[in-house]
Amino acid sequence: MGLLTNLKDSISKVSDRLFADEEPKRIGIYGPPNAGKTTLANRIARDWTGDAVGPESHVPHETRRARRKEGVEIERNGRTVTIDIVDTPGVTTKVDYKEFLDHDMEKDDAVRRSREATEGVAEAMHWLREDVDGVIYVLDSTTDPFTQVNTMLIGIIESQDLPVLILANKTDLPESNIQRVANAFPQHETIPLSALEGDNMDEVYDKIAEYFG
Amino acid sequence: MPHQCTSCGHVFPDGSKEMLSGCPDCGGNKFQFKPGSVDDAGGSSTDRSGSPTTDENVTIDPDSGTDGPASASTDSSSPSADAGSSSRSAADPAAAGTAPDRDAEVTMTPDDEVPDDAAEDDAQASARSEIVSPDELAVSESSGSGTSSPQDGDETREVAGTRPDDATEPDDATEPDDVTDPDGDADTAESDSGLDALREELNDQFESIRIVSPGQYELNLMELYDRQEYIISLQEDGRYVIEMPGDWGPDDE
Repeated sequence: MGLLTNLKDSISKVSDRLFADEEPKRIGIYGPPNAGKTTLANRIARDWTGDAVGPESHVPHETRRARRKEGVEIERNGRTVTIDIVDTPGVTTKVDYKEFLDHDMEKDDAVRRSREATEGVAEAMHWLREDVDGVIYVLDSTTDPFTQVNTMLIGIIESQDLPVLILANKTDLPESNIQRVANAFPQHETIPLSALEGDNMDEVYDKIAEYFG
Repeated sequence: MPHQCTSCGHVFPDGSKEMLSGCPDCGGNKFQFKPGSVDDAGGSSTDRSGSPTTDENVTIDPDSGTDGPASASTDSSSPSADAGSSSRSAADPAAAGTAPDRDAEVTMTPDDEVPDDAAEDDAQASARSEIVSPDELAVSESSGSGTSSPQDGDETREVAGTRPDDATEPDDATEPDDVTDPDGDADTAESDSGLDALREELNDQFESIRIVSPGQYELNLMELYDRQEYIISLQEDGRYVIEMPGDWGPDDE
């Protein structure tokens, strides 16, 4: 009897690992432009794999193509959670090249960046429909979270029944207001962090393991 | 209005397709409008008598409609009813183009929308009747941004939205109402309220990405999310390249 139980246990452990190895969850990092999505993706990737995902910038729409970091193994409480991180372009309803002219950019470059950013939003929306198993929604806690984009995206994510973790980023800035983010989406838990400084990343990893493990 | 080659002065009649492949005399590809030419009369032969742009009184005569006597007796008391009836009769390009009864001209008031509607219908009729020639496509490509090459191979399909701010959905691109003449015949003075309203209506119905002007875009996130195919390349002339669901492998579905 004891032999059988042991055998059963080891079989289920093996099959658990098989399924875990075969299909790591694809976690999309979504949010408006300049919320710190790439900074967070780089922070997670560097902490667990040593590599970065992509360049960060204070100029909006630096990320104009979804970038993926596969097989990121996060260890929590003796357990390993393997995820693929998809860093997506910032989602917005308007892209205007004039916005980039303030960042010392020539008009031609600004127009091109604008077009690529628009294509990036289309791509991000497409992957949200087709290709993610969970969402980390990053918000800049120094700005008002009550926007059309945030409401619509969170609504889409909820309608898909995707697990979503809401992060209030940039807590290192004095204007940060975590409560405002929490009030905007009371149906979800809000985790404060500074992806840039690495503040509160332990809790973020705990929650990633809890939500997407 | 006729066109003139800026390098050799060769004059082309209004609406000429000849210039689209370059000036036949010098090969030049830069042209300007040539105002006040005798060719103006020739230009008006192409169904443009309904245009409200000229300062001569070229207008549409409601009497050329089927209910001539009735409208003649009531045109001072019920102009709106007249406008409706003449709009219906003028909607027929043949009626508008071939029956300009100049002896009995009725000058339209500036806020009368009948000539606008007639002109729009003519433009659409013209667009419907012609297929874009390869020459025109080539011209359009070279006058575009030049940053994105056409990728109309087996894997992608290029869809023509014909105006910079009128990027239509591929499914609807074949609908006649969506297609306006790409060589710009209709964009002179007819970009009026009627056309704006039509554009707005189309935008409301179909738009997922609206190109306000090069480098300025408005996105309908729900539309983008709801679509099965996705846009992989935008071009400045209102065209865009999409990846079709049929191109995806079984794993992607």
